[in-house]
Amino acid sequence: MKGDTVVSAKGLVKRFGDVTAVDGIDLDIREGEIFGFLGPNGAGKTTTIRMLTMMAPATSGTVEIQGRTVSGLSDPVKERIGIVQQHIALDRDVTVRENIRYHAILHRIPAKEAGRRMEELVGMMGLEPYLDRLVVNLSGGWKRRVAIVCALVHDPSILFLDEPTAGLDTQSRHMLWDLICRLNSDGRTIFITTHYMDEAEELCDRTAIIDHGRTVCIGTPAELMDSVGRWTVEYRDSGTKVCRYFPDWDGAIRFRDSLPAGPGVAIRATSLEDVFLEMTGRDVQATEEVRFRI
Amino acid sequence: MSALTDSFRIAWIDMCFIRRNIATVLITCLVTPLLYLAAFGYGLGDGITMDGYDYISFMIPGVVALTTLTACVSSVATKVMLQRTYYQSFDELFLCSMSPSAIVLGKAYAGMARGLISCALLYAMGLLLTPDLHLTPSAVVLIVASCLTYGLLGVASGLLANSHLTLNLFNSLVVLPMTFLCGTVFSLDSLPGAIQDAILILPLTHSTECLRSAMLGTGVPWVSLAAMLIYMAAFYSLSVHLLTRSRR
Repeated sequence: MKGDTVVSAKGLVKRFGDVTAVDGIDLDIREGEIFGFLGPNGAGKTTTIRMLTMMAPATSGTVEIQGRTVSGLSDPVKERIGIVQQHIALDRDVTVRENIRYHAILHRIPAKEAGRRMEELVGMMGLEPYLDRLVVNLSGGWKRRVAIVCALVHDPSILFLDEPTAGLDTQSRHMLWDLICRLNSDGRTIFITTHYMDEAEELCDRTAIIDHGRTVCIGTPAELMDSVGRWTVEYRDSGTKVCRYFPDWDGAIRFRDSLPAGPGVAIRATSLEDVFLEMTGRDVQATEEVRFRI
Repeated sequence: MSALTDSFRIAWIDMCFIRRNIATVLITCLVTPLLYLAAFGYGLGDGITMDGYDYISFMIPGVVALTTLTACVSSVATKVMLQRTYYQSFDELFLCSMSPSAIVLGKAYAGMARGLISCALLYAMGLLLTPDLHLTPSAVVLIVASCLTYGLLGVASGLLANSHLTLNLFNSLVVLPMTFLCGTVFSLDSLPGAIQDAILILPLTHSTECLRSAMLGTGVPWVSLAAMLIYMAAFYSLSVHLLTRSRR
């Protein structure tokens, strides 16, 4: 169990006209944990992160950062948080160095301190050879690293990462996972949104699953997997893949033995993806519909 | 005071861009006024006098006023629109504890810088070309005020527009008519009264009037000066309102 609550959301609602994108979310993020926020495209993850970071006002509900209710563009509590947006939000026509310096300037970091922070972070990310290149000329992975440095240059204690590995190759994803663990081991609280279940399983101390703008479940990955059943029996029924969940191995074995023998019958440990499908219980078509609506 | 200091922080990255691309910036800002000078000043206006001055002396303050509009509006509007809708880097400003005033002013400075550099070159050229023009403190202050006014108009239009198409529409319906109608290259006295009254609604008419008086060293057109300040306040308020509304 990690420390005190550092980010608290109560009854967070966001409406766009008659569409409710976020529908009464309650969250408590604890100090020093990696908190995963899972959900399909259009479920309301980015909208929630925008409200938590005060980029967008909530229609109703409150957000507290380190015990302080926050509101307004110029609230100084923003200095305690950093965010890496899903879309790489850098100025593309200037250099990497200028982008990083700009973020330090925006956060009112004295030049000497900013220089020291930049040197440290650039070294950690391996960005030294790219410092004087225009951002527009970098690949997606390197742009993501620059965005992370920009988000960390004012040394925030809470870091929000909105789908940080979306669109990255396998090597870059694993590099980012290592980096997230390193940042967390320094004591930073990390809030990460993703729709990759393996990512949440690998990284997160606790996760919440969001669907249709509502929190469906919340807990450690192990707790969530236990909640549906530790073991999964996977088989095919009239060509469709079906999963049945069991709390114990013996129950799973008994059920498997009752099935007609054939290919595609397997027992395996339940994954977060199983939890997600069980909790949201929805196919891709419905997901697409939600994305379109929002 | 804090908002003012913060506005310079916001503007820092745009100044980096201008410094690195100064030649391109100057070319894009100066082509239009230089074409006006060549076509109207030396092509059509040679030998003509207007309001008691030879045409080039009459025209150069108008071209300077025109430059405060053309150099400031489009560059800021395009950048703000792109940063909001395509790059989404505008959102980064919402993550810092900056007030809407600081963000609006900071973004307007980018256009202002372009306008000031271009106007300085045109003014210097005008001083060399004709003895009727004077370098006066009031002219300098008015050029700064005019550049800020149109920088703010650029911010407002960049916050309103959601695509290049909308910006092109704004340029066609607002900027382009002003460049031709607001007395930059001709005297409004030659127009029918009703048209004159309509043109008086446009802000560039008043910028031109003020700058022409200041650069030619004639009396202060108080009404136009007041109109300029009202437009500046209106564009500022509109930008702050749009910025606050844009946080969705």
